[in-house]
Amino acid sequence: MSLLNTLIPSLSRAGTNGDGVACASRRPHFEVEETEGAYGLTVFLPGVPKDGLEITDEGGELRITGKRAPKLPEGVTALHRESSDAAFELVLTHDNTVDAGKIGAELKDGILHLSLAKAESAKPRKISVN
Amino acid sequence: MRFIHYTPNTRSVAPATAAGGRFARADIENQLDWLFGAALTGLAGTPCAGQFPVDLYEDKDNTYVRAELPGVNRDAISVEIVDGSLSIQASRKAKSGEGENAVSLNRLVSIPDEVQADKVFAAYENGILTVTLPRKEEAKPKKISVSVN
Repeated sequence: MSLLNTLIPSLSRAGTNGDGVACASRRPHFEVEETEGAYGLTVFLPGVPKDGLEITDEGGELRITGKRAPKLPEGVTALHRESSDAAFELVLTHDNTVDAGKIGAELKDGILHLSLAKAESAKPRKISVN
Repeated sequence: MRFIHYTPNTRSVAPATAAGGRFARADIENQLDWLFGAALTGLAGTPCAGQFPVDLYEDKDNTYVRAELPGVNRDAISVEIVDGSLSIQASRKAKSGEGENAVSLNRLVSIPDEVQADKVFAAYENGILTVTLPRKEEAKPKKISVSVN
């Protein structure tokens, strides 16, 4: 079995980083779309309840952390695992092109939708020529 | 349509190749996971497009199947027991450019024979579907006390 673990990385990984230490966090899948006045960010956070979610925006860095809340009765044993209990962490930099005061967030069924309004300085400006 | 949104492998965010054109360790690991993945997921059916991660748990009374299905409409989830397997089907609306596409997700999970099919129930919360499969009474472990004289 130890040979198999060496050969197939995912066997020894399963919730650990290979050294037997539990992974602190993992990066969730996300999508970004841009409209004229805002960026729309969709982050996949299955198993993260509202109170396990933390969104901070500081110094041009948007940080989203989501802790998973296991919803299983006490004393169960895992027979087969494909998911991980590690918390989600996503850090995106935006160089202050986003107005931090106008960030809207909605979490529904494990999907987080963020709307990030562009800062005035980042919006396209039309300059008229005399 | 192929479901491409979910990346269950935590290391799949690694770049395809490292600088200098040499393969990164994480990349080789990803390739190996992909190669062996088909054999390793045999317990939960044949892997194909539109799949999602599934966990199996058990305690003395129940078997639990937990599936990660974020952003799925409750009405679009269908859970069925067919020939000793649990079939989970769902669909998710995904934006593609201007329009919307429905992504269909399905998975077949082998479950133990001693399940009371009529007492199975499912709950959906925070994007996770938990199906509880109660065991038949006769399959539960029984404690027999023996008195020694």
